[in-house]
Amino acid sequence: MRTEINLTGLRTMIVFSSKKLLINRRWMLVVLVAFLVGGVMGYAATEVEQNLSAASDLLNLLILFFFMPILALIYGASMIRNEIDDRSITPVITSPMDRRVSYLGYYLSLFLVLSVLLMAITTIGWACFFAVKGFDASALQLLWPYLVTVCLGAMVYGALFLVFGVVLRHPIYLGLVYVFVWEDFIGSIPGAIGEYTLRHHLMVVASSWVDYGEISTVTGEPIMSALTLIIITLTMLALGAWAFWNKEVP
Amino acid sequence: MTLPIVQAKDLSKWYGEVIGLNNFKIEVGAGITGMVGPNGSGKSTFFKLVTGTIHSNSGSLLVLGEKPWKNPSQLGRIGFCPDYDFLPADLSGRDYLRFAGGLHGMKGPSLQGRIDEVLQIVDMKGAADRKMGGYSKGMRQRMKIAGSFLSDPDLLLLDEPLTGTDPVVRRDIIDLIKTLNKDHGHDIIVSSHVLHEIERMTHQVALIYKGRAVASGDIDEIRHLMSDHPHNIVLEGEGMLKLAQSLLEKDFTVSLELSHDRRVLNIKVSRPDDFFDTIPTLMQECGCALERMESLDDDLESVFKYLVRW
Repeated sequence: MRTEINLTGLRTMIVFSSKKLLINRRWMLVVLVAFLVGGVMGYAATEVEQNLSAASDLLNLLILFFFMPILALIYGASMIRNEIDDRSITPVITSPMDRRVSYLGYYLSLFLVLSVLLMAITTIGWACFFAVKGFDASALQLLWPYLVTVCLGAMVYGALFLVFGVVLRHPIYLGLVYVFVWEDFIGSIPGAIGEYTLRHHLMVVASSWVDYGEISTVTGEPIMSALTLIIITLTMLALGAWAFWNKEVP
Repeated sequence: MTLPIVQAKDLSKWYGEVIGLNNFKIEVGAGITGMVGPNGSGKSTFFKLVTGTIHSNSGSLLVLGEKPWKNPSQLGRIGFCPDYDFLPADLSGRDYLRFAGGLHGMKGPSLQGRIDEVLQIVDMKGAADRKMGGYSKGMRQRMKIAGSFLSDPDLLLLDEPLTGTDPVVRRDIIDLIKTLNKDHGHDIIVSSHVLHEIERMTHQVALIYKGRAVASGDIDEIRHLMSDHPHNIVLEGEGMLKLAQSLLEKDFTVSLELSHDRRVLNIKVSRPDDFFDTIPTLMQECGCALERMESLDDDLESVFKYLVRW
């Protein structure tokens, strides 16, 4: 009986929370980002000679380096926090669903929506670039690794920023510090410290699939990096579920 | 012997330096129980403790025989309608009920059937497919109540369900609450800061003030309790000095204060009913012309202060 309630509740949460994330006013931001990525990549295609390396570097810079963590932060950190603040979380926390399962419902919705949005933006950027340069089989070989990488990014960044929203009252500030100071600034410093960023591990995983651009030169053990990302995701999920289970919602 | 539905013993909850509930004691039985208290008295804190969204700092609380904190399975037996508006504006009423039902493990044709039944009870069938952002306050209240008893819980908690509604809607919601108890068998705890509204639903009330249960039981007994306590009354007009002299001779007069211009008389009486019975005769005897008479205790706040002092 408990399992049935939790499974039905989980499915309900995924359907309704995903819908809520998608019809949120933030879709305008996503459209803007998609236009920007498409515009930049389309323009760059007219300016560069090398096709695949240039496209790979641009996708790396625009998506993996910038928009992926930013979108994950905007969607993830505000997801539960906004519901607590506007009290629309009430039906969830007063339902017989186990709160840890509810948290999983939030996470899965976030992961699905982030993956769809990031894959759409990546595809638009890629399409704009190769619309100018001309599509061929190697262009497709560049697309799928980035699509898989943004899904991995959605998985790990989503798990991280969702915890911020449960634990912190103003999660966006710490999130911005994390993205810009830790991931971008510290991650760019030469030496081993850069290996302690999520972006580094994502790039290591992607380097095993992408043969073009700077990302293909990143050194590391892809299996270990993939395992690291999965362990971080699971740890964050467990931490978030525990915090949500113990959280008072006045 | 039937176990109480809700049993609180020395229950305390504070938010930082602010006390929500203070050594709160109550036993709620079957039927409809009204919880009456001014704003900020602790009614909503009590409901949050009962639903397990917060936990107490001390004391014990049993709801349907179990502790509510970290007890999600118990929430399957409780329906909660909070005092605040939480309904998503971009969902239709029917979608909201699908959402609420799904969270309670309901699905398929049985959920659809139950939604239709509930919409019929709250008289919202016609507006169920409209977005809730366009609902009136009364419609939103009905939809909140619908969501709370959709899963057919044993206990319904309705926090200020009449707030912000017009008299017609109030009457309808009061009738609905009575129907939910009488015809559908839900035990209900309903809160309000207006005693006479509760009186129209039930005779079983608990008065709560500054986080304490100051009285509970039959409403007639509580009204009697209130009338036995001193009331402050202001009288204004001509001939107040003579009236004050006459009032001083009465044994229900506790204290008197006459203003410098001798037009305003503040009087504290121990038996307000006797005072109000006597005052017309006294006015006639003294020949005074009364322009204003006002009981400062008409507001719930001062009534509660009396009960606390008592």
